[in-house]
Amino acid sequence: MGRYVQNEIFLSTTLGELRIRSFCQPEDIRKLGFDRQFGTHAHYRSLYTKRESLERKAEQPDTSVVLAIADSTHIVGFGVLAYPDPEERWAGLHPQVMMEVNAIEVSRQWRSRKIAKGIIQMMMVHPLIEEKIGYFVGYSWTWDLDGNRMSAQQYRQMMANLFEPFGFQEYQTNEPNICLRPENIFMARIGERVSKDVQNQFKWLRFGMTP
Amino acid sequence: MRYPKELVLKNCTEVVIRPLTEQDEQALRDFYGQVSEEDRWFMRFNVMDPAVIRGWVQGKDDVYSIVAECSGQIAAHARLHTHAYGCYHHQGRLRIIVLPEFRQKRLGSWMLLDLIHLSMEKGLRELRADFVVGIEDAAIEAAYKLDFFKKAVLEDFIIDPLGQLHDLLIMTKRLHKDWGDF
Repeated sequence: MGRYVQNEIFLSTTLGELRIRSFCQPEDIRKLGFDRQFGTHAHYRSLYTKRESLERKAEQPDTSVVLAIADSTHIVGFGVLAYPDPEERWAGLHPQVMMEVNAIEVSRQWRSRKIAKGIIQMMMVHPLIEEKIGYFVGYSWTWDLDGNRMSAQQYRQMMANLFEPFGFQEYQTNEPNICLRPENIFMARIGERVSKDVQNQFKWLRFGMTP
Repeated sequence: MRYPKELVLKNCTEVVIRPLTEQDEQALRDFYGQVSEEDRWFMRFNVMDPAVIRGWVQGKDDVYSIVAECSGQIAAHARLHTHAYGCYHHQGRLRIIVLPEFRQKRLGSWMLLDLIHLSMEKGLRELRADFVVGIEDAAIEAAYKLDFFKKAVLEDFIIDPLGQLHDLLIMTKRLHKDWGDF
């Protein structure tokens, strides 16, 4: 598997300096500590509770694991841009056109410091991004509403505001899991080099059909 | 909210959902002209009255409308009636009309979902929709699927053109305010 060039930005916060780095490799991740806030809380469970899960994800082709690292040792935020699992609807657009923002999370005490924005920025510097349809699925039952003191609607709006500056927009879909709750959200970003034909296929795929 | 919204219906028909505008006055009149007299009978407003249509396209009386457009024609009209003041200001009332050839294709559900999102954005706490039992059963089923619950049944409350009485089902949906609602 070829490796991509890592990109990095620095962020100065009231809690200290951070670096946000793309394409983190398994061996990089292994050297870092995983914030204990990435765990199970009363009404919320982190998408990745173990560092090893991020290591495994980083091994997959074209996947970008983006980490927000404090003190050069400590993971306080992460994002994963990866191909969807083969059994998912979004894997049906060939050849591997769609890439999912599989996870984006910031440790509770580091939130409201624009770290998530930096993580998305680093995910979007993927060299293939303009050839892909990047997408993001927000299931309200995975959101830390308690930790953020937000309603589901406020959280939904926050996610939309977070992704829109990077070219994502909300799309309708009849995907059953997304349709389970009106608060759920499906957003996508169509790369500049995605053909009209593929864009049309994407429209039909959103409704589980072929043109 | 971002419009227009592209949809592909169950029968592969492509439609677009967008807000109703003043330029739609004639198209909306044409739309209600295609709705059967029986369906019109059960509406709360006389949709053949141009003043009613004009009020809606102008967004008067805190009524927000969206339409589904297919090949340049209106295929469905959905309204959210709100109250700026008073004991109903936390509630919105919904009404969705779909042309017969677009029914049973989930278009009504998409319109309903869009109005739910709009209601959430407006900070409403509850939605209300009234249905005539035995006449609007498909709509009742769609409402149940989107977490509307039966609030009350007013027995023998509605009269049809033949003089037969029907039950009126009042359904409501609470809009989630926090995690405690899940």
